[in-house]
Amino acid sequence: MSISTAHTLSFYAQWLGVSETGDSRAVRGRPDWTDLLFFFLLAIGAGAALYRYPQIMDGYEKIILMGTVLLCAWLGWLWRPLRPLMAACALSAGLAIGLYQGDLARTDQVFLLKYLLSSQSAILWMCMSFLIAMVCYWGGLISPTAAWLGTVLTWGAVWAGVTGLLVRWREGHLMGPDLGHIPVSNLYEVFVLFVVVTALFYLYYERRYGTRALGGFVLLTISSAVIFLLWYAFTRDAAQIQPLVPALKSWWMKLHVPANFIGYGTFSLAAMVGFAYLVKAHGQTRGWWKLTPLFVLGVLLCAEPMVFRTEGLSTTWMMYLGIGAALVGFILLARRPIAAALPALEVLDDIMYRAIAVGFAFFTVATILGALWAADAWGAYWQWDPKETWALIVWLNYAAWLHMRLIKGLRGAMAAYWVLVGLLITGFAFLGVNMFLSGLHSYGEL
Amino acid sequence: MTDTATPSRSLFSTGVVDINELLGSMRFAVSLLIFICVASLMGTVLVQNRSSSQYIDQFGPFWFELFDKFSIWHVYNSWWFLLIMAFLVMSTSLCLVRNTPKMWRDMRSFREHVRASSLRAFTHRYTGETAADCETTVAAVHQMLAVQGFAVREKRDASGILLAAKKGSVNRLGYIFAHAAIVIICMGGLLDSELPVRLQVWLFDKQPIQENMLIAQVPDNGRLSVSNPSFRSSVLIAEGSRATAAVIMVNDGALVQPLPFTLELKKFIVDYYSTGMPSRFVSEVTVTDPDDGKHFDATIEVNQPLRFKGVTVYQSSFDDGGSRVDLLAYPLIGHSVATTPVNSQVGEEQSLPSVAARLIVTAVRPINVEDFSSGLSQTPPLNFGEHVAAVTGSAAGKHNDNLRNVGPAIEYRLLDSAGQAHEFKNYMQSVLLEGRLVMLAGARAHPNEPYRYLRIPIDEQYTVSEFMQLRAALDDPAARLQAAQRFAARSRPDGSDRAALERATARALDTFAQAGLQGIAQFLQTHTPPDQLAHAADIVVRLIGASIDELRAVARARASLPALAQDDAARAEAADWSRLAIAALSDLKLYPAPVFLTLENFDHVPASIFQVTRTPGKNIVYLGCLLLVTGVFSMFYIRDHRVWVWVRARSEGGAAVQAAMTSQKRTLDFNREFERFTAALRQQLGS
Repeated sequence: MSISTAHTLSFYAQWLGVSETGDSRAVRGRPDWTDLLFFFLLAIGAGAALYRYPQIMDGYEKIILMGTVLLCAWLGWLWRPLRPLMAACALSAGLAIGLYQGDLARTDQVFLLKYLLSSQSAILWMCMSFLIAMVCYWGGLISPTAAWLGTVLTWGAVWAGVTGLLVRWREGHLMGPDLGHIPVSNLYEVFVLFVVVTALFYLYYERRYGTRALGGFVLLTISSAVIFLLWYAFTRDAAQIQPLVPALKSWWMKLHVPANFIGYGTFSLAAMVGFAYLVKAHGQTRGWWKLTPLFVLGVLLCAEPMVFRTEGLSTTWMMYLGIGAALVGFILLARRPIAAALPALEVLDDIMYRAIAVGFAFFTVATILGALWAADAWGAYWQWDPKETWALIVWLNYAAWLHMRLIKGLRGAMAAYWVLVGLLITGFAFLGVNMFLSGLHSYGEL
Repeated sequence: MTDTATPSRSLFSTGVVDINELLGSMRFAVSLLIFICVASLMGTVLVQNRSSSQYIDQFGPFWFELFDKFSIWHVYNSWWFLLIMAFLVMSTSLCLVRNTPKMWRDMRSFREHVRASSLRAFTHRYTGETAADCETTVAAVHQMLAVQGFAVREKRDASGILLAAKKGSVNRLGYIFAHAAIVIICMGGLLDSELPVRLQVWLFDKQPIQENMLIAQVPDNGRLSVSNPSFRSSVLIAEGSRATAAVIMVNDGALVQPLPFTLELKKFIVDYYSTGMPSRFVSEVTVTDPDDGKHFDATIEVNQPLRFKGVTVYQSSFDDGGSRVDLLAYPLIGHSVATTPVNSQVGEEQSLPSVAARLIVTAVRPINVEDFSSGLSQTPPLNFGEHVAAVTGSAAGKHNDNLRNVGPAIEYRLLDSAGQAHEFKNYMQSVLLEGRLVMLAGARAHPNEPYRYLRIPIDEQYTVSEFMQLRAALDDPAARLQAAQRFAARSRPDGSDRAALERATARALDTFAQAGLQGIAQFLQTHTPPDQLAHAADIVVRLIGASIDELRAVARARASLPALAQDDAARAEAADWSRLAIAALSDLKLYPAPVFLTLENFDHVPASIFQVTRTPGKNIVYLGCLLLVTGVFSMFYIRDHRVWVWVRARSEGGAAVQAAMTSQKRTLDFNREFERFTAALRQQLGS
């Protein structure tokens, strides 16, 4: 048996540097003692929360907490790097909570809180790290060290983002006895969640397929979200914790929103891989007219967050659009070296399919959870509210894509273009609906 | 004969086959998906379910007629949308009917009939040999496959031994589940749609009621049965009253839906966060079952509906249930100071005889949390560093301190004799603004506009009474003259130029009384050279200020109030008061009503709006959802693999082994899986 394992291992080493598990294990195998230990640590944490704050959670929330223990333990088994990440986030968030000593004013007095661990500082660090990571990943075209740095920074950003969200959760509770809630309740919070989820999925695929060449592409969406996040925080004061409107006060939120953002995250990841696919496929193309649709789509995707501008086209947004267009143009100009660095088309196609499969499955779950919640909150599991309808549109779009791929064998450029258009649709469902269409998801009133 | 008959029949049957073929085809199904996408999109862009008149306004009569044919005002209940959905259900069902038996068979089959000679047809195949004999090899391979989780079947014949193995075939069930789920969800959804009510309207000739009517007066053909299996209705219940029926909107009318129980609202509670935002809307109700007369108490809250007798009651909104209000009407024209008490009720229309206007009190709001940050502090532009510093640190709200509860307020609408309506919002208590207590009186011409507020200074009793006396005095020429005289006498104790000053003051007061500060400004612009304008304005403003002080004294004397004290503090106080009063008096010229109503007392009666539904399809839909999730996950994450291993004894000793592997989804993973399999096989065979 041991010989067989060794043989298999050597075989994997030949295979593209691919790791089936996305970490150092050849196969996942059975959970070992470290998994057990991790599970016990998580269980102790949850137990402490249940013991200290029994009155804050209702029965469902306690079940969700216990379910989270199992889920985190399972995720840690599924992909090992999540365990140190979770541990690091727990430690930093725990440290921040300890430093607060139950007093919000200490955010300005304690050095660590002020510059690193308070939620807003951590989230700003996350933003910075993502932006630098993108530059590093593109620098990876020239130097592998830069790409490695990109990976490190992306991990750092994920750590900062998760810490920021956890600390934010605590800060909400410190603001007032009834104000605290899980930080996935408004656009600002879910944007942080979105970039973190997208980055984690990317890091998984990076490790699994042993390539950092996609980092620059995926970090494009993440950076675009980060710029939006910064703009939103700076000009709209969006970062402030607001109490929940009555319709949102439900344990369903803890399930519905994260599931949804696994969907959004993987869909945008898939679209960026699709973009990379098209760049690779056009690696040798000379005629510019063949590249035009790709350029237009790229610029359109860059422009999508601009739907949030309020009055006219401000200089900031013009600059943003200009930089976006320049970036897309630059990628297309440098398509030959980029194409050479990217993994094989089949690999890109495979990642794209996988990401969409994960996204579709979770989007299905999220939409159903949303329907169950709506049945409790609004009295109807489905009432063609714009957000619901757009969720359906997104779902149908990817359902059509999957049908074409699995049954009709749709592959190649067509599939990749479709996925890019899919991101436009998803982006509208995510942002545009809140902007342009009034409905129940706007949470204006009861 | 047969020759002619056969083509015609075959033509017909080909037609059926063709339609069958089309409905069941992938292309058709995918086009339907895209089509539903586009139709749904249209429904989100065009606001649905508004009244016809609004759409006529928006599109004009011609386009309205045309669009109305396709009922794009309620896309999701239109005939063509339902038709597309029906096609989707048919197409999916056909697909299921056609493929389920095949898949079922395939799932259970080991395909042991595949012959070694067809090996070449597989892309993933392996050929090898081993020194071990046939039986040992078969046993070893069997063992290996079993360890890898395969179900194995052995088949022996003259040519050798075949091991046919499979794993993950249940993922075919995923396909069946997911597609059955679509059909089930659509069916369940249809049961809960508007269709059942529309069917009843059509079958039992129900007449939706168009005009206002008491529920008790609604005739039988405006009522649905209490055992109506599927409905979505709403009901407004005022605190302290009860309801036995709800209302369903159909087209532009309404139908009465009797409820299988009586719902009484005992209390409607709104809880607030420390920031002043509402945190909870709770209705405490008593439910009485008419069948056995038993009753019980329940609370209904957002996210926590009440379920009883197959009916679900949701907290959907709230309103006023006819609060009683005691108002005091202050006239804003003429020199009378006589106030009139007005008793009214929210939602009731009544005439105000003294001013020939009609009054409708639209709302009483006991709690008003207002944001006092806007307009008061214009933040200076920050540099980049300050910007970053402003968003670091904790995410605790910084501007919540500016939110204050300013107590009860009343909103009413006044219709003048010409039919012009304006809306007003007056607070019951004074509000501290820029260090002064003032009474806020809001007015607007259109519901979409924000209120523009008058700031009225208050008197010792915290009422607007003294200001109103001042206003009446200003409208009285005799009082104005008296004030001018008093001012002239006080300014010129020696008597010189007193008459001229008196005239000038009287004139300034007259102008102010007629047209406010705006009138004064106009007067100055037409009567003063431009270079002296600033100087003259300064003088006139001081003149007005001083003479309003005198006018106030006159008004106080008339109202038999004691004269104001003359010490420094009192003078400063009086000057402040006058400044506010002058601004308010001037703004009164733009106030769109001849009367000002203050809220003296109220008895707040809130009302809850409940949504009452019976949804027979809900559990069906939930079952469909469960199937869908199971189906989707098993389709994606249960990988199916089939393996065939042929073992044949070789004449020279040992055995020849051939193997093939296949899967429905030949992804990169499958390639790797195959490599792993062959590696293990090679290991087993010791080659």
